Amino acid sequence: MSSQVIEMVLLGGLGALCLVGAATVVFAREVMRLVLGLGGFLLGVAGLFAWLGFGFLALAQLFLYVGGVLVLVLFAIMLVHRSAPGQPSLSSRHDVLAAISAAGIAGFAFIMLRPAVDAAEASARVATTDGLAEVLLSSMLPQFEIAGLLLLAALVAVVAVSGGDRE
Amino acid sequence: MLALGLVLFALGLYGVLSRRDLVAVLASVEVMIGAALVVLMAVGAAAGGPSSQLEAAGVLMLVLAASEAAVGLALLVAVARRVRSTRVDDLTEVKG
Amino acid sequence: MSALLAYPWLAVAVPVALALVAALLGSRGRLIAPWLAAISASTVLAIALSSLAAVAAAGHVAEKPGSPWLGEVVSQGTIRWFAAGDMALSIGWAVDGLTAVMLTVVGVVALAVVVFSAGYMHGDKGWVRYFALLSLFAGSMSLLVIADSFTGLFIGWELVGACSYLLIGFWYEKPSAAAAAVKAFLTTRVGDVGLLIGLALLWGATGSLGYEEVLAEVGTVAPLSVMVAAVCLAIGAMGKSAQFPLHAWLPDAMEGPTPVSALIHAATMVAAGVFLVARVWPLFEAAPTARLVLMTAGAVSAFGAALAALAQRDIKKVLAYSTISQLGFMFTALGAGAMVAAFFHLVAHAAFKALLFLASGSVIHGASTQDLHEMGGLRKAMPVTFATWVVGVLALAGVPPLAGFFSKDAVLEGVLHSAPGVAVLLFAAAGVTAVYSARATRLAFFGTPAAGLHAHESPASMTVPLLALAVPAAGLGFLAASVSGLLGHEAEPLQPMVAAVSVGLALLGGVTGWLSAAGPEGDTATARRLGGVWTLLAAAYRYDALVDRLVVKPAVTASRALWAFGDRLVADGAAHGLAALVKRAGARLSAWQTGDAQDYSTAIAVGVAAMLALTVWLGRW
Repeated sequence: MSSQVIEMVLLGGLGALCLVGAATVVFAREVMRLVLGLGGFLLGVAGLFAWLGFGFLALAQLFLYVGGVLVLVLFAIMLVHRSAPGQPSLSSRHDVLAAISAAGIAGFAFIMLRPAVDAAEASARVATTDGLAEVLLSSMLPQFEIAGLLLLAALVAVVAVSGGDRE
Repeated sequence: MLALGLVLFALGLYGVLSRRDLVAVLASVEVMIGAALVVLMAVGAAAGGPSSQLEAAGVLMLVLAASEAAVGLALLVAVARRVRSTRVDDLTEVKG
Repeated sequence: MSALLAYPWLAVAVPVALALVAALLGSRGRLIAPWLAAISASTVLAIALSSLAAVAAAGHVAEKPGSPWLGEVVSQGTIRWFAAGDMALSIGWAVDGLTAVMLTVVGVVALAVVVFSAGYMHGDKGWVRYFALLSLFAGSMSLLVIADSFTGLFIGWELVGACSYLLIGFWYEKPSAAAAAVKAFLTTRVGDVGLLIGLALLWGATGSLGYEEVLAEVGTVAPLSVMVAAVCLAIGAMGKSAQFPLHAWLPDAMEGPTPVSALIHAATMVAAGVFLVARVWPLFEAAPTARLVLMTAGAVSAFGAALAALAQRDIKKVLAYSTISQLGFMFTALGAGAMVAAFFHLVAHAAFKALLFLASGSVIHGASTQDLHEMGGLRKAMPVTFATWVVGVLALAGVPPLAGFFSKDAVLEGVLHSAPGVAVLLFAAAGVTAVYSARATRLAFFGTPAAGLHAHESPASMTVPLLALAVPAAGLGFLAASVSGLLGHEAEPLQPMVAAVSVGLALLGGVTGWLSAAGPEGDTATARRLGGVWTLLAAAYRYDALVDRLVVKPAVTASRALWAFGDRLVADGAAHGLAALVKRAGARLSAWQTGDAQDYSTAIAVGVAAMLALTVWLGRW
């Protein structure tokens, strides 16, 4: 089989994974199914990053998101849903509006961004990690540091918020 | 890929706006963020190739998103303990 | 002395400033207050005398047709106030013969009143306020007199009206005094509306309010405008000078302190109406209808008020009606075209009426009553007051050789010349003048004192001004030629026939009045014999009740109706309705505040979508 076809299949699979996962998150009735969907979505995104050529990013996505955030979500659900969770109703009064606006935003954004994408051919290329490290520690150093601070702050915040009533 | 990313984004947005359970809302937010990242990376790669700078930016954004998820979930836990519910309808203190 | 002439506005500025000083000093100024007022009056007098000297020195100046000035203009100046397009308002002064004479009147009477008040008002708790108001009045009257335009005149006009209000209601705790002050103010206000309309017409027609500019245009402006404006001005004059039908406030104004009555309601403010007409005489020369209005009001007032004075018990009310009557003489003269005669009578009247009012003040002070029936035999207890009173009364009745004789004669001659029918009415009024004068004199100063009357002569602070005023009251007649000369006119020679008739009438009237008040009962017998007529006269024809029924009650009813409708229904309704509307809108809008984060987010999403749509559509992305 030609690599092109393989590529197409791979891309399609990844895309499908993302879509199914997202749809599950949005439409699932049971919370566990939602978690599974979220996991699938995040995996698919990691794959997409890899397909685009951002290896490190894909790995980071895997570790941080699939590994970290998903677990967090699970934890939160465990903590919060005591009794058997009542089925949350799916329809709300702003369904239609939400759908319209979501579609609208996506549509217009597509129109606006299309020309940039058409201009170039997307081909899989691999970026090295050395280059990434060099960038992070030199030209984007401030951002890197701030990101670290942000992580620290988030950590503190989480501890503070979820500390609960001590009295 | 652009189209895919935007569709994912739309899905996530819809979920944020219409799900009645807080956990679902937060999960939808994660979907939105992921989708946005995809779109960003795709357009960036198409425009100038998979550069290190772009990747670095992406990583940093990932960090941001992760922090947000953590804090959001912590808040969810705190609020749910208070109100003893995760249904959006029960959070009405700002009403009026 | 002539240096003072360069700044005649000091006659306005100094008194006003001193009034302010006194007002600011408050009760700390008890000692200094009368002195401040005296300085004010003296300033006015000084400027007046220097003006007189200057005008006299200029000799005879031919009358310029269309010019408001009489005699030489010895001082002039202006300050431009504001301009709008090609219409401008400036305020300035011009001193001519008319101004000089009038200013002298103001100064002399003001000074006499200030000195008299130092004795009369002694111990009054409003002492400082009183003298401050006197100063303010002097300044305002001066402004009215020296103004070279209707602007200045009007400001002074309103200011003296305000001073009059404040001084009539000086003893404001007395409800009758407060009511009288309001009545005076409102009645003159009606006249002032006329004045204002007239001024507006003149400004519109001529583009200016300066005397010279306005009068210069009298020939070129449409005669109808001139006539209407003149009539409106006449109405203003009638209000200020208490002529029928705007006369009812003057008797009530007697609630104020007697020196105030002497200054404001005899000599100066009430003469402002006459002064106004004289000031812009060419305007009235060109408006026969306005003159007719003046003459009618004047004749009715002259005769009617004189009759009413016959039956009054209050000595001040006698003098009040007498004032209305004498002003009526002046107005009739003006209406007949005899401006100089009218003005001369104004000057003489100022002297003897102020004298009479101050003398009555002395009587009130010495006998502690204003009721003629409670007096009697005062000539023994108060000789100086009696003597000066007699001088005043003889002048009033027109007995030669006192001033009143000459001035009244001039008036009678002038009216006879143009309107013989009206002149008859004036002669009759003159006769009645003698009657009520004699009656009042007999009741107060002759006969046996009423029971419980302990009278004493007044202190020097009061008797000296009386004596001072008696001089011009007696001798001004001989200066008739000089006064006319100051006004740029030849003096009219005395006509023996008229003189004889008027003197005869005076004697006849005097005897009648004397007899009517004869005997220990005074005039009670006469009152009984005349019955209903007497009560009608005493109540001044029940005019007040008539006005109340025709004007006051409808006005009050109309205001109440308007209030119920316009204010309560419309204005309040609008305000309440608006509030209710806002409340309801707020209640409905607050439904938007659901507290639901998703609701808000949806709104945001819709907005973002819309913005993107707009961008795409506009930018043809």
